[in-house]
Amino acid sequence: MTMTQSTFDNRNAAPPAGRHHPRAGLADTFTRHPELVSLCLLVAICVAVALINPAFLSPTSLIDMGRASVVTGLFALGVFSILAAGGIDVSFTAIAAFAMYSLTLFVLKVAPDLPMAAILLIAVAGGTALGAVNGWLVHELRVAALIVTIGTQYLFRGILLAFIGTVWLMELPPQMVAFGKASMLDVTTANGATVTLPWYFLVFPAAALLTWAIFNRTLMGRAIFATGGNPEVAARLGYDQRTVHLFVFAFAGGLAGLAGIVHVCANRMANPFDLVGTEIGVIAAVVLGGARITGGTGSVLGTVTGVLLITVVNNVLVLVGIPSTWQRVVVGAFILLAAAFFVTRRGKLQSRNRKPSP
Amino acid sequence: MTHSDPTDQPFLELRGIHKRFGGVHALRGVDLTLRAGEAYHLLGENGCGKSTVIKIMSGAHAPSEGEIILDGRRHSELSPIMALEAGIETVYQDLSLLPNLTVAENVALGEQLVAGHGRLLRWLDRARLSETAKKALREVGLEPTRALLGTRVSDLPLAIRQRVAIARAIAQDARLVIMDEPTTSLTRHEVETLIEVVGRLRAQNVAVLFVTHKLEECYRIGGQAIVFRDGLCVAQGPIAGYSRAELSELMTGREIEARRYREGHPGTAELMRLDNLGSGDGFHGVTATLHEGEILGITGLSDSGRNELALALAGHREITDGRIEMDGAPVRINTPAQSIALGIGYVPEDRLGEGLFIEKSILDNEVPLILDRILGPMGTVSRTKARAAARTISEDMKLNTTDVDLPVGALSGGNQQRVLIGRWLSIAPRVLVLHGPTVGVDVGSKDTIYRTIQDMAERGIGLVIVSDDLPELLQNCDRILVMNGGRVVAETAGDTASEDDIYRAMLASPAEAAE
Repeated sequence: MTMTQSTFDNRNAAPPAGRHHPRAGLADTFTRHPELVSLCLLVAICVAVALINPAFLSPTSLIDMGRASVVTGLFALGVFSILAAGGIDVSFTAIAAFAMYSLTLFVLKVAPDLPMAAILLIAVAGGTALGAVNGWLVHELRVAALIVTIGTQYLFRGILLAFIGTVWLMELPPQMVAFGKASMLDVTTANGATVTLPWYFLVFPAAALLTWAIFNRTLMGRAIFATGGNPEVAARLGYDQRTVHLFVFAFAGGLAGLAGIVHVCANRMANPFDLVGTEIGVIAAVVLGGARITGGTGSVLGTVTGVLLITVVNNVLVLVGIPSTWQRVVVGAFILLAAAFFVTRRGKLQSRNRKPSP
Repeated sequence: MTHSDPTDQPFLELRGIHKRFGGVHALRGVDLTLRAGEAYHLLGENGCGKSTVIKIMSGAHAPSEGEIILDGRRHSELSPIMALEAGIETVYQDLSLLPNLTVAENVALGEQLVAGHGRLLRWLDRARLSETAKKALREVGLEPTRALLGTRVSDLPLAIRQRVAIARAIAQDARLVIMDEPTTSLTRHEVETLIEVVGRLRAQNVAVLFVTHKLEECYRIGGQAIVFRDGLCVAQGPIAGYSRAELSELMTGREIEARRYREGHPGTAELMRLDNLGSGDGFHGVTATLHEGEILGITGLSDSGRNELALALAGHREITDGRIEMDGAPVRINTPAQSIALGIGYVPEDRLGEGLFIEKSILDNEVPLILDRILGPMGTVSRTKARAAARTISEDMKLNTTDVDLPVGALSGGNQQRVLIGRWLSIAPRVLVLHGPTVGVDVGSKDTIYRTIQDMAERGIGLVIVSDDLPELLQNCDRILVMNGGRVVAETAGDTASEDDIYRAMLASPAEAAE
């Protein structure tokens, strides 16, 4: 102890941080911004795949991937918000399934003329309410978020299947079909087929922008990180834990509700058994994006990168002749490698900070 | 800001404050009055209620009874945001910094949080954040470069963190700044900076409340002394009016004539020798011996290295320098298993968290070290033998129940401690390290535990008691080692040592102690 202190005493006049930043090498940059690792990985994969099979860069495949990223992306933004606050959620897919199926059924049976904007709004509101239930339970029961959301996943899904319905809805209301089809960009490929980038694709970047604004431009964002960094200290400093918990879970719920409706419209049918089971893939994307499962870290940009990485891996392996069954092996390996990298780097960085060289 | 006449209305008053945590009565009717522009020194031994009282002032705890009068308004409790809005800023001993946020955010976010009365759905004003942070950092002598402002606190060394924590406290218009042991990790130069800051704050009519062990600094800063003992405020008055000896006496309170438990004498055979032992930045150059049947006390402040030494002996902390000998032969202790194999037992400070399987029965807690002795014919644990073994241990330890199936969580602190000691006695240890053996234990149980300790010494076990309870050490030990700044700075005989001398060695700055 005394050794460390006297080192700093002698150098009291010098600004302290100066010794930490400038000589930080590439590896340190990666440690501080883990999402860069995934970004490099993403770029490397894209380049490699494009070289092996130029079809990767065709509008068809790009648009396919863009469409495929929307639902995962919305989920991931929600999961990121919760992870940042030090929680975890595995119930968001059940919230999405609940919102999409019951709302589709409601529109079909009760309010066929409901405008699309209202449908989206109700989906978000419903998801928010279910998410808020999670947040309330986590805060009031002081039970681990994992346990609470495993419970609510079963609960939400059970209620959906037991009381609302188990029949696939193959005929969607026309306004939802139209929303799923409405084209932002039509591309005609070499063989004469038309691929469409639908307007709903924009939901993902818009949600990402909103999440970014919340995290970087509002006190809420800082409060979420503060809670993830050290909940006890955050509470002591006046960040209301109840508000933070309710907010992140409600926000993730709202995004999940939105994702559910987008999913239905994109697939042109509502299957109540859908979506649940994809949680781990989404959490994997967020973790690859640099958010630590222990909370307090991560960024929206990293989350988007993680989503793109997972989407690309899920879609391109076939293009280069790797069987699709290998997707999981690849994603699993990425996660382990990234985790191992960060753990070792983190350790080195900290031990260096503890013992500054004389 | 306009302040009303400070002589006429105190800034903060506590009246009849009680605080209970489960069965522990931490504050037992505290009355305190704090006025603007005054410096206060809250003194007392560990566990006297100092931390609890500042947590009540800063809104982190709600009192169980009593009222808080803030600026003339009565409250039954404060919330963190209410306290901050009123200008009560706290620098906790753990600094309460958010490791994953930047220096600027740690220093200046509070201002915007308080401006919005704690509401979180508000825009973040980054320009103002950086302005406020720069101003506050300059006040504590840190040059607010862009690099520093943007550094995450987890990447800062401890001494800088401490100043960042102080910068946060003065970043807003504080009216009372509470500092919980602010100088423990500061160097002399940094302490000077802190004292300057305090002077400036008082000139601005801000009250400052120090919680500290370092009397020397209290006298330099001046102001009022507030002495706590056993959850009560036992004295309050100008600090210049008290001598060091008087303050020590008030803090320790000699009202009960302490009885010395130690009657036996240690054997002559040397059991264990520590030779220039060191462990990273925890402690270094520790040389000591322990004889058969000897009781060795080790004390010091919480950052003195005493805890680290206890952990190292138990194999919970890496030994980086020096060596340990047992019976004259060098031994290695790298893991708890090695330590146990050598016959060294360890009773941890945090009984509930580290020592006991709290939901399991007395039986399950007493037999884990002797599983090989209670095996049945199939190589599985025989419940019959286990029961018999547990009965013997319970009787030996004089537990207040004969039911070995009772969960240990249902026992009192003293009985829990005896279950834990009994577990170790079952393997007839040669050395037993007791870390804070009577923390959270009532007076009656203390008596039984001290008798047990003396009993063990009579059986020839070498005992090491690591504790900050000085009367406990004086009543039980043959010798007492005092640690300070990672070193052993004094050694005294248990029957002739005075509490004052030990205190002086504990509290001396490392430089003085080295003399």
